[in-house]
Amino acid sequence: MADETFLADDFLRQLMSVGEVDLLVGIPTHNCEKNIGDTVATIEKAFQEKFARERVVIVGVDGGSTDNTCEALLNSHATGAANSRGITSLRTIHRIVTKYDSVPVPGNALRTVLAAADLLRAKACAILSPNTENVTPAWIENLIEPVYRKSLDFVAPVYSRHKYDGLLARILLYPMTRAAFGGQLFELQSDEFAFSGRLASHCLNQEVWHNEAVRDAPQTWMAITALCKDFKYGQSFLGPKLRPVGGPAPDIVTVVRQVVGALFWCLENESAAWMNKATERPTQFAANGHHWLEGADQVNPTRGWEMFRSGIGELTPVLQSIVTAGTLSEIERTATLDAPSFNISHELWVKAVYEFAASYHWDVLSRDHVVQALVPLYRGKTSSYLIRHQDSSFEQIDADSEVLCREFEKQRPYLIERWKVKS
Amino acid sequence: MKATILQGLQQAYDNLVHMVAEFLPRFVVMLIIVAGGLLVAALLRYILRWILHLTRLDRLSDAAGATRVLRKAALPSVIDLLSGLLFWLVWLGFILLGISVLHISELSEQISRLFQFLPQVVVAILILFAGLVAANFFSRAALLAAVNAGSRSPSVLSWFVRFVIWILAISMALEQIGLAKQTVVAAFTAIFGAAMLALAIAFGLGGRHLARQWLERYIGDKKKPARSEVGDEPSPL
Repeated sequence: MADETFLADDFLRQLMSVGEVDLLVGIPTHNCEKNIGDTVATIEKAFQEKFARERVVIVGVDGGSTDNTCEALLNSHATGAANSRGITSLRTIHRIVTKYDSVPVPGNALRTVLAAADLLRAKACAILSPNTENVTPAWIENLIEPVYRKSLDFVAPVYSRHKYDGLLARILLYPMTRAAFGGQLFELQSDEFAFSGRLASHCLNQEVWHNEAVRDAPQTWMAITALCKDFKYGQSFLGPKLRPVGGPAPDIVTVVRQVVGALFWCLENESAAWMNKATERPTQFAANGHHWLEGADQVNPTRGWEMFRSGIGELTPVLQSIVTAGTLSEIERTATLDAPSFNISHELWVKAVYEFAASYHWDVLSRDHVVQALVPLYRGKTSSYLIRHQDSSFEQIDADSEVLCREFEKQRPYLIERWKVKS
Repeated sequence: MKATILQGLQQAYDNLVHMVAEFLPRFVVMLIIVAGGLLVAALLRYILRWILHLTRLDRLSDAAGATRVLRKAALPSVIDLLSGLLFWLVWLGFILLGISVLHISELSEQISRLFQFLPQVVVAILILFAGLVAANFFSRAALLAAVNAGSRSPSVLSWFVRFVIWILAISMALEQIGLAKQTVVAAFTAIFGAAMLALAIAFGLGGRHLARQWLERYIGDKKKPARSEVGDEPSPL
């Protein structure tokens, strides 16, 4: 292990008392006293129904909760339900908890889970978020089983989505990852995923844990590590993912900074792996399902369009350092279009994103500033998507997404060119 | 009377001739030293540039991010900067050596004081440079944050940040070289205080509704879901 000492003594004692396990589920927690009991009960139910003979452990990793999250995780009432054949778990389901930090840091939380998996020699592990309210035992089964029984090393989820949800994944993360790394993982940044003990040990030994990209979005880094290295990966359908009611809405700027920053950093870190490799590797679909949800809330594209226009106007001096003169003039021309006819073409979007990635690589400005400068453009592309697909069917959206993916693949040589030679 | 005047004029003429005869060789020596110094300095600059190119310092500077910092501060490359610095230091040394040959006591004193003053000037220049770099970085950070939060006047905010850092750096640099300390402190206090007062009045009068909304959001009803600053937007993830 790269650095064992970061684990607390008490946590090490708990791990030693558990011994070796087959399955491990990690739950990164922060002030979720109300939800954690349900999440633990769901996990235990999945263990009892589907993995009754396996040695299992639930590991809570807490990032400075001020409520009784840890106590709730340890003491919530066990269900003890029997499966369809009347069998309850044949083994003790262990629950252990550690406080890894005084504030939630996703990278530190995942690192703690990986260290626990490594010490316990877990064969398959899953990460679940206690903030996802509709987790079912089937989710845990669909995530863990492909790793445990089909020898996959990384399993990303596929959720049913409303047509306006997950747009960052749809218009940037997925197509760019697919074009650059040749692998298809739609949910690059997800709260739920699974991985093998082998991948856990590999990731744990990497000297990246103090890097900001890994600290903020470790899932993205782990997924791309699985794509780049010699690991088998797949996707598993989980069903609809409901956003927490009454919780804070995801802030676009924070998400873009963390996730796109992590993607660009992975491109930098794994450049040797992707620059000379254009071959597409097969993605195993462990469980298929329907990916669209009906009845999306209508979203007004006007606000995003306005922010794109004003943002491009204000950021011109910054953008001049990031994108080429031709791309900037094309973006500025697009910003003059009125809302009904407003459209950022796939070609322009892909070219601009690749130029942003290359500028990140060449360090033309502070890297965080490069990523932040992408936000107005992302808002513009999102508005363009909303205008274009207001009345589109799911099939039309799927077809358009595929066209975008092809555009990313078509312009891949341009990314490589920009990556190799500083303009 | 006439003889006395002629004697006085003869005396003055003799003194002038004596002074010129004494000063001129020293002046010529000074010119030779300064000219020689120019050649030596230029030669050393050329040699240093050659060595630095040979050691690929430019690439090292690129990798360390120093080139980017210098470019953003509108300064030449590291190699140009170092070789230029060497040139001026060497030539300045020769110029001062040449001046000392003239044996002008007041000038020698001034030169001596200048040498004592030089380290403070260098530190002041470094402070200004650091201020310039910091002003660029933080003003851009403010601009990006304001644009992405949908603020109405991001450029104003960005320029305000730049202005405050410049004022701070200039006042620190002037303080370092000990130039009119009282005046600098008073001027800084007046400018900074006036800017803050102007902002407070502008926010209190012009933006009282905004202030109210802000206070309500962050201090008032904390149970209210914290929506994005920009209103309804589709979920990115």
